[in-house]
Amino acid sequence: MLRADEEDASELKIGDDFLKAKCLMNSEVAILLEHRCDQMKHMSGDSTTQLPQVLEKSLQYVKRFSRFTNQGSVKQVREVLSRYQLAEFELAVIGNLCPENVEEAKSVVPSLKTKGRGHDDEAIERLLNDLLMIKKFE
Amino acid sequence: MFFHIVLERNMQLHPRHFGRNLRENLVAKLMKDVEGTCSGQHGFVVAITGIENIGKGLIRDGTGFVTFPVKYQCVVFRPFKGEILEAVVTMVNKMGFFAEAGPVQIFVSNHLIPDDMEFQSGDMPNYTTSDGSVKIQKDSEVRLKIIGTRVDATEIFCIGTIKDDFLGVINDPATA
Repeated sequence: MLRADEEDASELKIGDDFLKAKCLMNSEVAILLEHRCDQMKHMSGDSTTQLPQVLEKSLQYVKRFSRFTNQGSVKQVREVLSRYQLAEFELAVIGNLCPENVEEAKSVVPSLKTKGRGHDDEAIERLLNDLLMIKKFE
Repeated sequence: MFFHIVLERNMQLHPRHFGRNLRENLVAKLMKDVEGTCSGQHGFVVAITGIENIGKGLIRDGTGFVTFPVKYQCVVFRPFKGEILEAVVTMVNKMGFFAEAGPVQIFVSNHLIPDDMEFQSGDMPNYTTSDGSVKIQKDSEVRLKIIGTRVDATEIFCIGTIKDDFLGVINDPATA
């Protein structure tokens, strides 16, 4: 496990456990949690059941900050973004924040520019355009 | 950030739960025990989404309880230092403001709020720029960067900043 002072998401230092894990965008979490809540309500046979606090808070949060709401476009976002050789973590941050221009993208995901992995401004521009298109036709 | 991750836990089950429904009982107990908990290493366990594998049970000497190693998939929320995320402001005071991102609380001190924003007290305490164009108050949505985390046995607490490019109040399309 990584010591707290060694972790730094801007350099993708998030520990082995999490680098191997799948990062989820808020929109994906919303779909998952809604399904889980329905399941819980179904099991208890009562639609007014109190949800556990962590679940309730997370659900409210992801609903508020989901950029994409329909399941098809959420899937499309992941498909499109995964064409750009991004790390899982970078993909999720971009999908969550939907930066509007290249400068913003590089600022919210600093690892895009530090690694020299062929993410020039044009590639980032294309990526953001693709994202915008999905949003437009949602 | 939310992650989908595989975790493992040794579950102890009382012999009265054995029989046809052993698996269901085990899974129900796992959900009850694990969902909503928080550990420093993996963050908040929000929901279990599936069971990967249940290992062979081992009878514990003297008690009759059986321990099963269970591997399960779950959604966890784990904030990282350096991560940029969006959050909802929950409280504003002269020391700074608190914001919430899912189950996690984030404090932004007034030193980490841009210098041109001033604290205004009143019924609705807020931070406002001198020209009044930008305002942070309860229920505002802000984008912030996490610069430190502190881990408790049952809670993770974060320190954030909005003093950087592309951070701060999120442009609300309704008011822009």
